[in-house]
Amino acid sequence: MNNILEMENLGVTFSTESGDVPAVRGVSLRVAPGETLALVGESGSGKSTVALAALGLLPGNARASGGVSVGGTDVVGAGEAELARLRGRTASMVFQEPATALDPLTRIGRQIAEVVRNHRDVSRQEAAAEAVELLRRVGIPDPERRASAFPFQLSGGQRQRVVIAMAIANSPGLLVADEPTTALDVTVQAEILDLLRALAVDSGTGVLLVTHNMGVVADFADRVAVMLEGEIVETGTVEDVLLRPTHEYTRRLLEAVPRLTVSEPVGVVHEESEGAPVVELRGVGVRFGRGPRAVRALDDVSLTVRAGETVGLVGESGSGKSTAARVALGLVAPESGDVSLFGADLRKARGRARRTLLAGVGVVLQDPVASLDARMSVGECVAEPLRVHRSGMGAAERRERVAEVLELVRLPRELARRGPRELSGGQRQRVSLARALVLAPRLLVADEPTSALDVSVQRTVLEVIAELQSELGFACLFVSHDLAVVQQFAGRVVVMRGGRVEEQGPTMSTLLHPETAYTRRLIAAVPIPDPVLQRERRERRVASGTEAGA
Amino acid sequence: MSVQSAGRWGLVAQFPAPLKARFARNKLAVAGLLVVILFFLFCFLGPLLYSTDQTHTDLTQVNLSPSGAHWLGTDAVGHDELGRLMYGGKVSLLVGLAAGVLATVIGTLWGSIAGYAGGWVDAVMMRVVDAGIAIPALFILLVVSAITTPGVPGLIVILGLVSWLVPSRLVRAETLTLKRRDYVLTLRAIGGSHGRAIARHILPNSVSTIVVAATFQVADAILLVAYVSYLGLGVQPPATDWGGMLSAGLTAAYSGRWWLIVPPGLAIILVVCAFNAIGDGLRDAFDVKGRG
Amino acid sequence: MDTLLYLTRRIAQALVVILIVTVVVFGLLHALPGGPARGILGPQATPQQITLFNHDQGLDRPLPVQYLYYLRQLLHGDLGTSYTLNEAVSQLIEQRLPKTLVLTVLSAVVGLLLALPLGMWQAVRRNKPADYVITTLSFVAYSTPVYFLGLVLVMVFTQVVRWFPSQAPQGDTVAQVFADPVALVLPVVTGAASMVAVFSRYMRAATLENLSEDYVRTARAGGSRQRAILFRHVFRNSLTPVIAMLGYYVPVLFGGALVVEQLFNYPGMGLLFWSAAQSSDYPVLLGCVLVISVATVVGTLLADVVQRVVDPRVKGGLA
Repeated sequence: MNNILEMENLGVTFSTESGDVPAVRGVSLRVAPGETLALVGESGSGKSTVALAALGLLPGNARASGGVSVGGTDVVGAGEAELARLRGRTASMVFQEPATALDPLTRIGRQIAEVVRNHRDVSRQEAAAEAVELLRRVGIPDPERRASAFPFQLSGGQRQRVVIAMAIANSPGLLVADEPTTALDVTVQAEILDLLRALAVDSGTGVLLVTHNMGVVADFADRVAVMLEGEIVETGTVEDVLLRPTHEYTRRLLEAVPRLTVSEPVGVVHEESEGAPVVELRGVGVRFGRGPRAVRALDDVSLTVRAGETVGLVGESGSGKSTAARVALGLVAPESGDVSLFGADLRKARGRARRTLLAGVGVVLQDPVASLDARMSVGECVAEPLRVHRSGMGAAERRERVAEVLELVRLPRELARRGPRELSGGQRQRVSLARALVLAPRLLVADEPTSALDVSVQRTVLEVIAELQSELGFACLFVSHDLAVVQQFAGRVVVMRGGRVEEQGPTMSTLLHPETAYTRRLIAAVPIPDPVLQRERRERRVASGTEAGA
Repeated sequence: MSVQSAGRWGLVAQFPAPLKARFARNKLAVAGLLVVILFFLFCFLGPLLYSTDQTHTDLTQVNLSPSGAHWLGTDAVGHDELGRLMYGGKVSLLVGLAAGVLATVIGTLWGSIAGYAGGWVDAVMMRVVDAGIAIPALFILLVVSAITTPGVPGLIVILGLVSWLVPSRLVRAETLTLKRRDYVLTLRAIGGSHGRAIARHILPNSVSTIVVAATFQVADAILLVAYVSYLGLGVQPPATDWGGMLSAGLTAAYSGRWWLIVPPGLAIILVVCAFNAIGDGLRDAFDVKGRG
Repeated sequence: MDTLLYLTRRIAQALVVILIVTVVVFGLLHALPGGPARGILGPQATPQQITLFNHDQGLDRPLPVQYLYYLRQLLHGDLGTSYTLNEAVSQLIEQRLPKTLVLTVLSAVVGLLLALPLGMWQAVRRNKPADYVITTLSFVAYSTPVYFLGLVLVMVFTQVVRWFPSQAPQGDTVAQVFADPVALVLPVVTGAASMVAVFSRYMRAATLENLSEDYVRTARAGGSRQRAILFRHVFRNSLTPVIAMLGYYVPVLFGGALVVEQLFNYPGMGLLFWSAAQSSDYPVLLGCVLVISVATVVGTLLADVVQRVVDPRVKGGLA
């Protein structure tokens, strides 16, 4: 059988200000019709560059060498005109960010029709009719009407469906999908993966799937290639690579992946904390904006974090989990309900009393870049809470305390003199953690502290938090979209949905025996990095989905 | 004219490199810096080498064409034109620089307060800015100078007062983004004061925006000085500036005395271009817009 | 519903801005030496006349009361009387405004028609010689005082080559102005020059930004050619921020008209203002300021509404 994609010794080099940077070296791979090859690796491994090279879409400062052949056409040597004939017909692509992948000012039907007319000599009306048909195929409800919608009127998942519709408009032999579900919630991710699989099976399309998510790999791929620093270190069938990895790096990678336990627990069982409440939200409601356009962000939310325990706050985007954390921190004033922090009413506390209360709180937010002021040194960043609350502290004493906490989060004390820009993402998050712990807080609020990090880095950061917690005994409110991480990390879990608490309880029992249909659906949608297990789960999910739909 | 500078914002540099290196690579910006330095030397040190009488008229020496004695000829009342170019340049450069800086300072204060306070304070302050933009600066200047005849300090204040609007909008936009940065939120969450947030995070991080705005503002102010003098409202004779020389020479142009308008005209164009080029280079070097 | 709400809020905002403008103009009127009485009666008025006038007009009453009185006059379209031309200011402006509008709108249209393609072309040829040449020319055009540019143009096109007359059309009506299109060339070019400079820069930046957007990559991945992407997608997306700028450019255009009309002896509002400034005709000066400010506010309002029409995305958080 002829391979639809063949790469032979592909190399890609970027020319930058600081000289040439090789991004990809000696990559050889092939994709047969109807087959899905997953290209996995952490950030900076070069996997996306390989994907772009397949369609000749590399940016202007990149140079490719070696051979890339798509359906028999040599891509590396081809001119723009030849590539334009190839793209969207022989091979097409689905990108990571559905929010920005579509022209915001052009109706989606027209954008799909454009791809049709790029390659086939059909009239405007025929192309428009085809666009509607494609929208129907990718599962957009009421496609006749939706075809005249603008991208902003669609949800993220629907936009990704539109991008997929564009990609399959001319029944390509090869579909390159670069992290197609990374920006989406898990339930939407499951739907998009089902859709891609159905389309690939239907038309015998070969798929090159680029992803960092081992669960997605297990769910979707036939074969896997693992990339590390621009090179492929291991290739094999999905069962071989995920269950019996041979390369050291693959093993480490798989080990670091947080796995959602779906059968009875084998690991540590967290005990229920009986400590005094550290932070308590009672019947909290929050509304953003005024008048008819106001959005109800939280509705009657009650939750408690007790001394020494970790509460995981999980939910999909828009569930209100971050808002709830911000209410607990006093950053968002609730419209109704009570918030008490260390037993005092945060809304009534003013001036000195409020400052004393807040001195007992540490905060770590999601974005490793935006969390630290790039104009300060690491030392100054960490020392900031000391300057706020311990203004009497001398410079030498402060330096010593900063050095202490840096070592606490397993960073060398010399780092204090460096700038945040010189650090990696994982190091930055540990600096944020050091800043949060410098006042020895009784409560740590962590809002998606590791979701921007690679799995191996995520593991280190989570380990540091867990160890320090058992050492220092602070309570933790841990906000995350990742059920597996929460399961590992939190003693109790609060599941949120649409601004309300869906259900809450001890983590293990809640996630193993969820009471509400939504939580069940949420858990079923999480892909597990075990191809055999995941296949069963998928079949069960699809079956129950069809039942529910019928 | 000041609204125009808003149009020069937007380009984002692609790859980070040291600030100085990035500025130095922008050849236009380096050339601009050189031109500005040369003009300052010319206007402030030039008179030491080429001394002329710019306070008394000399009716025996009027309208001479360029020669060895008067390198750029003389004007209608007998002033040496080259000497006058230095003499007028002092006023143009000083007033432009001071007014540009004043406008930036006012704009920074106004914009950062509006942006940080938010809510109705912001709404009211920004409506005032809209109103200010709606009234053309030239017209305000005409009305004001119909009421009083300003000297150099007065001119600086008036020009500063009519051109702070664009910097205030820019600084407000910057403050709005900065106050939502995670590090500011973190500071607020642990009980840090507003004052600390502004002094330690928001102002230091807006410095690049402010410096770039100031550079464009100086360019615009020098142009504005030229307009003011053209309208007959600038510094009064025997003092002058490049705009005043230019308008004084307008009629002479028709009788072929090019040396009365080409030098001041070129001086204005060169200096304004230079400041704009510097601003452009600084903006790219600082990569104003984005990156934390 | 959303659009209605938006329009109401936006118009309310515009009214607030106009109100602030009237406060400023009122303040200027009272800052005049001798106050509005001197301004209205003229420099020859005696102190007795002024006292009498002040009493008749209620000008001896508290300032806030006077302001309300002033507002009421404005609402009746009464901008006072010019004491040099001895005619109602509103009437003077009514005669002159259309001609100024002809000049400014023509300059703006010509300016945009040149600037937009130029800016796009620069973005496509980024950092190539053509880009550098146009960038340098833009800087020069922006940095040249309008009157100097006008003068140079007049010298070149009326003395060196005699292609155009040095005076703008002199007719009293708009029709008469258009009857002499050749005479319009130099004034319009002079007025449009800095607009070309500014808006080509702006369009260049907007196009560059859009060219690096994800949707361009999506279109390329769908097999669209560079030219199609540029005209079908990038152009429209780059246009929206440029339109928003247009509203704020209205006062600059009027400022340019002030100089151009004087230079080419074109009897519009700019020239009216100019001669009023020479003779300290305050009612005319302030009347013009008010009219231009209102025109600017309306201009920005229109620009915002047009932008909303072009860009269907709902803009959250106005204020």
